[in-house]
Amino acid sequence: MANDVRPVSLKREGDGLKIEWADGVTTFATWRHLRASCPCAACTEDRAKPPDPFRVLTPQEVAAGPAAPVGIKTVGYYAYQIAWNDGHDTGIYTLEHLRKLGTPVTHGN
Amino acid sequence: MNPGMPQKLSLPGVKNVIAVASGKGGVGKSTVAANLALALRMSGQSVGLMDADIYGPSVPIMFGLGMVDPQTTPFPLEKYGVKLMSMGFMVDPNQAVIWRGPKVAQAVQAFLGQIDWGDLDFLVIDLPPGTGDAQLTLSQSAPLSGAVIVTTPQDVSLIDARKGVRMFQEVKVPVLGVIENMSYFVGDDGKRYNLFRAGGGQKLASEIGVPLLGEMPIDPRIAECGDTGEPMVRKYPDSPAAQAYLALARRVIATSATPAAAPLPEVQW
Ligand SMILES: Nc1ncnc2c1ncn2[C@@H]1O[C@H](COP(=O)(O)OP(=O)(O)O)[C@@H](O)[C@H]1O
Ligand SMILES: [Mg+2]
Ligand SMILES: [Zn+2]
Repeated sequence: MANDVRPVSLKREGDGLKIEWADGVTTFATWRHLRASCPCAACTEDRAKPPDPFRVLTPQEVAAGPAAPVGIKTVGYYAYQIAWNDGHDTGIYTLEHLRKLGTPVTHGN
Repeated sequence: MNPGMPQKLSLPGVKNVIAVASGKGGVGKSTVAANLALALRMSGQSVGLMDADIYGPSVPIMFGLGMVDPQTTPFPLEKYGVKLMSMGFMVDPNQAVIWRGPKVAQAVQAFLGQIDWGDLDFLVIDLPPGTGDAQLTLSQSAPLSGAVIVTTPQDVSLIDARKGVRMFQEVKVPVLGVIENMSYFVGDDGKRYNLFRAGGGQKLASEIGVPLLGEMPIDPRIAECGDTGEPMVRKYPDSPAAQAYLALARRVIATSATPAAAPLPEVQW
């Protein structure tokens, strides 16, 4: 499977998540990008629909402000589950997905 | 380690222990477990199949075996090149075994710990249906390398399957993927017909971020094979269902080839 490259460390840094991978690559993804790419069924379905220009933010979304995690836990040997400040927590981010969502950082620190 | 957790048994000769689970009974979990075990065997692996469904053992009938005298017959038994263990070899399956949870767990622990499985590439475990205490204890005490969840296309069983996925996540057993059984049938014209709204297994799989390992067709011969002691994949190896099982076996082999990985690092907060 695509669980080939495994993470060595994950750090909250600035407005996103920095991951050091076993192959020496370091990637960074903003919380905003991670939240927008939630792999759960509901979000996947929403993204498949054409964007609704009149969509009203839920009160929870408004109150939450910019996307930020309130908790991240490991799921088995293959994924991380991120709980967000807007109350959403059903997304399970596989290693493969996390690797794709991140942008490689050149000066890794 | 958490002191409340049951002792994890070790099976040094067994490379991969795969649990076949489902949220509820009747979805074809035992059928999948038996055919997967045989398909792995037909793909050149050394395989064992352990029937942990103490209340409804089906391995004896599916493999055409009856009760044996445990005093004179060493376990596991072997048929079609697969090592087999089931409560049904010791107790008449028609006489309901009314045991409470702890006793079930004990019997299953004995199946795992006291039976000489020898060297195996895969030990497939047919778990009891559901996500109760018995299943939880088993998932904690067996050295599982992964679990596959069997579901059917109806939504109701998806809800149950989700519970199963959560249980494995709690005990940190990786869910290798979802198998959707009775997905479709292949007509005489060779075309695929869906019986229910399609895509339930895919939906569950993408929601939990695991692959859909297989979609298994409905075929009346599967039930017939289950009753006559020779699983479908062996009896009709050219049928679409058998081909689906052999493809499933290849995926399970690919998924399991990597040696047991180290736990993932926690996020530094
Ligand atoms: N794909 C299938 N096509 C036709 N019959 C099936 C299929 N899968 C399972 N069956 C039949 O459905 C019944 C229930 O299957 P079983 O494997 O015993 O379910 P479970 O172990 O989940 O309770 C059995 O009679 C079995 O032969
Ligand atoms: Mg069964
Ligand atoms: Zn989501």
